[in-house]
Amino acid sequence: MSVYFTGGSSSASPASASASAPTSSRFSLTSSAVSSPPPSLYSTSQNPSSSTISNVPNPNRRETSRMSSQPSSLQQQLFGGGGSGGGGSAGTGVGPAGASGVAGGSMNILDRPLNKTKGAEVGMGAWSFLFAEIVAYSQSRVDSVHDLEARLSSLGYEAGQRILTLLLLRNTQTAGGKDPRREHRLIPILQFVHTQVYKYCFGKPADGLERSVEEENEYMITLNQPPLTQHISVPKDMSQLSCEAFTAGIVEGVLDGLDVPARVTAHTVSTDQYPQRTVILIKLDQKVMDREEALGK
Amino acid sequence: MTVHALWVISKAGGLVFSRSYSDVLPTLPVNTILTLAGILHGIHAITAKLTPSPIPGQPVGGMESFEAEGWAGRIFLTATGTKFVVLHSLPHPGLDDLLRRIYEIYSDAVMKNPFHTLEMPINSSLFETRLQTLIASVNA
Repeated sequence: MSVYFTGGSSSASPASASASAPTSSRFSLTSSAVSSPPPSLYSTSQNPSSSTISNVPNPNRRETSRMSSQPSSLQQQLFGGGGSGGGGSAGTGVGPAGASGVAGGSMNILDRPLNKTKGAEVGMGAWSFLFAEIVAYSQSRVDSVHDLEARLSSLGYEAGQRILTLLLLRNTQTAGGKDPRREHRLIPILQFVHTQVYKYCFGKPADGLERSVEEENEYMITLNQPPLTQHISVPKDMSQLSCEAFTAGIVEGVLDGLDVPARVTAHTVSTDQYPQRTVILIKLDQKVMDREEALGK
Repeated sequence: MTVHALWVISKAGGLVFSRSYSDVLPTLPVNTILTLAGILHGIHAITAKLTPSPIPGQPVGGMESFEAEGWAGRIFLTATGTKFVVLHSLPHPGLDDLLRRIYEIYSDAVMKNPFHTLEMPINSSLFETRLQTLIASVNA
């Protein structure tokens, strides 16, 4: 976030005394904006359209105009650096985003081809830290293990709905736009989740898809080594918690998007070989079973 | 090389993890190990102060190892100030590699675990099992 002001540091305005405040403060927008009274006019506001800034008679017109044309830093990071000029060289925050924009071959994430999957993977370490923070954050806002799982699941649900849309679009594009497919029968849908969704999320299909012996409307998807939660060890007093509730949410979101409402839960069923083996239990709505019956074999 | 024990000392000098991996080590009460770790932390700080002509801008390292008849200890200081202390037998081929692997396991199983609080005792079964596997392969 500290890269809006690149270059031109020597041309501090002699016209206004306050503008020649320590140059360092002009280079770190964040720190000065967070600390209480801002030391200079340049750092008084985060708002690019602030009249304070644009009204100052200022020899650094280049900087001023750049600042007012820059989107907020978050936007900039999301949408790929906003060009090489704005990216700057000093910033650590924008640097990687700018680099990834270059790697993607375009400046804007919206302009990148949707079908391009190579090199678009998310780093496992980055994900692990993010997910750890998600869990810790969620945990501080709930009272029970059940509520925590519900929270994680609802986050996964949002992801699942988007993943479904993306995968269907990609499949259609891969097929050259012809014969767009969307499964409507139960078994192909479950196989779609087992194979395509899992492959997209975790890099490989799930290890098993079974129907429950006792219940007609229960299916289980197993994953021997779930990558999302591979570094999480649940304390003993919360032993029934499974952070794979997030994955369960993804599955639920995908199924719901395909009009297969179900209650999806995650359970850790460890074996000697795979201590973190997780079973995603899908309990289908009666409506789905009725429809399957009506559609016949 | 046999690894006798592993301690993890937080940057404040508190012992956050200690395990013994061989039966030749005298069993000490946890409080004693806690005190020893605190003393070691202090000695490390003193040796860091004693470093002759430290390079300005470079972090000053302190004591890295100590040696006695038949056994020795190695202190591995991470960039964030956490110390891993390994008590091991002599000679010690592959000790540097082992310490790096321990550090790797620590960063994975402890730092990426949302249920771990910084500077607090490590309470992660994953950390213990992974260390057990690693050190069993060295001790074998």
